[in-house]
Amino acid sequence: MSLTSGALEVENVAVHYGKFIAVSSASFSLAPGDFVAIIGPNGHGKSSLVNSLAGLVQRSGEVRIDGVPLPSRNPKAAVAAGLVLVPERRHLYPGLSVRDNILLGSYVKTSRFFAEKAWEDVADVLEVFPELSELLNQRAATLSGGQQQMVALARAMAARPAIIMLDEPCLGLAEAVSKRVYEWLVMMAATKVTILLVEENPVHALEVADRALEMFKGVMSVPDMATFAKEQQP
Amino acid sequence: MSKFMNLIAAGLASGATYGVFGACLTIWFRVCNVLNLAVGDFAMLGGLGTAVLIQVHGVPLGWAIVLDLFGVGLLAYIFDRLVLHFAFDRGRSEHGIVSVFFYTFGLSLAIEGGALLLFGSDLRAAPTLWSGQALHILDFNIERPAVLVIALAIVSGTALWLYLRFTVSGRAASACGESLIGARIAGIDSAKFRRWIFIMTAVLAALFGVLESPIIGFTVQTGPTISLLGVVAAGFAGFRRPGKAVVVGLLIGLAEALIQGYVSISNGDVILYGALFSVIIFRPSVLGLSALA
Repeated sequence: MSLTSGALEVENVAVHYGKFIAVSSASFSLAPGDFVAIIGPNGHGKSSLVNSLAGLVQRSGEVRIDGVPLPSRNPKAAVAAGLVLVPERRHLYPGLSVRDNILLGSYVKTSRFFAEKAWEDVADVLEVFPELSELLNQRAATLSGGQQQMVALARAMAARPAIIMLDEPCLGLAEAVSKRVYEWLVMMAATKVTILLVEENPVHALEVADRALEMFKGVMSVPDMATFAKEQQP
Repeated sequence: MSKFMNLIAAGLASGATYGVFGACLTIWFRVCNVLNLAVGDFAMLGGLGTAVLIQVHGVPLGWAIVLDLFGVGLLAYIFDRLVLHFAFDRGRSEHGIVSVFFYTFGLSLAIEGGALLLFGSDLRAAPTLWSGQALHILDFNIERPAVLVIALAIVSGTALWLYLRFTVSGRAASACGESLIGARIAGIDSAKFRRWIFIMTAVLAALFGVLESPIIGFTVQTGPTISLLGVVAAGFAGFRRPGKAVVVGLLIGLAEALIQGYVSISNGDVILYGALFSVIIFRPSVLGLSALA
C-alpha cells in the first residue's frame, strides 16, 4: 500500500475551460478508508473535478493529501502522493498486453529497470482480480468491457494508492457486469484504500458508498439523503 | 555463386538504409503517432556537416563528428521546445495529428533551405571511418564503410527492440502512443519520451549520414529521399516495431539487389515496389496495422 494514509482535503477548488466554468466551488474532505460517492447529473462538473484532482486539467484552490499540498496540473505528483484516477472510459493501452497495462500503474513508484522484475512487485494485485491471471498476455483491445474495467482497476491498484477516484466505472457496461464492478469496489474498499466514486446513477452509488456529495451546476453540496431516497423510489 | 554473394552484400548495404530509417520512424511513431519526415534531413546534416567541418574549417575527424552530432541533437531539442511542445502539449486537441505531421514536413524544408545556405549545393562526403581495401569474406567482397552501415542498422535495431521489449521505460514509451490520457494518469511524462526519442533518432540518423556519405555522397537534397526509404520499411513494420523495421529493411534491400542482378536493372524498382504493393493489398495483415486498432 501507499506510504500515505489516504486523507484528502479539497478547499475551494474551481475548474475553468477558457470562459466556461465547469466547477465553480468544491470543498470536502475524506478520512482514510472513506468510501464516498459524488453524484449528480451529467455535465455538472463531476468529471472535471476528479480530473483536476488527478492533475489532468488546471485548477485553482487547495488540495492536500495527509496535509501535504498537491500541485495543480501535475499527474505524476498526484500518483506519487497516492492519488490515482480510474478515468471514464478507462483509457487503457489497447495495443499492450494486460500484464503491461497493469505493470504501468506502478510506473511512478517502481525503481526497477527491467519490466519482468517490476512485474514481480505488482503481481499481487491478481489476488483481488484472479480472473486476470489467464488474460495477462492478451492485448487489452481484445477484452470485453467488463474485463477492461477490471484491468483499469488493477492498474490503479498497482500504483499502491492511498486514494482511488473512479469516474463512472459502469458507463457502457451491461447491468450484470456493473454489479460485478461494484463487487470489485467493495473488495478494494476492504483493503482500506480511500475511495471517491463519481456516479451519475445515485441508486448504484449509494448501495456501496458510506456517504454522498452532490455536484450541481459546478457547485458541490451535501444532499439531503431523506429527500433523495424518496425521489429514487419507483 | 560469386555474383549471388556479391548481390547479397550489396543488398544488405542498401537495405541497412531502409532499416535504420525505418527504425527511427517507427520508434517515434510508437510514442506520438506522427511520422517524422525530417529524419532523412538529419542524416544529410550528419554527412554534409561533418564533411564541411573537416574540408572547409579543418576540424579533425573525431571532433567534427562530435560537434556535428551535438549540433543535430541541439537542433532537434530546440525544434521540440519551440514547435512540438506547443503542438502536442498545449494544443494537440485543437491542431490534430495531421497538423503535427506537417510540422515535421516543414522542418524538413527548413533544414534543406538552411543547409543550402551553409553547405552549398555541392556533392560532399565525410571521410570514411574505416578505410582500406574491400573485405573479402567467403565468396564476396564488401566495402568497409558498408560494413559499418550494416552494423549500425543491426545494433540500433537490436537496441531499440531490447529497450521496448524488456524495460519499464520502453513499456512506458509505448503507452504514450497507445493512450495519451492513459499515460498521463499513470504519471508517465509523455512529453519527455517524445522529446528524448526525437533527439535520439535525430542523432542516430546523423550518425548514419556520417557513415553512409562516404559510400554515396550527399547533397542538401538527399534527406527527403532517405526519409521515403525509411517510410517503406516502417510501413512493413506496422509503424510500431523498430526491430522489425530493420529486418524488413534488410530484406527489401536484398530483394532489390537480387531483382536488379538477375531480372532487370532498369525495371528492378518497378518490380520490387509492385510486389510490395501487392503484399499491402492482398495481405495487409503483414503490416501489423491491427496493432493500431
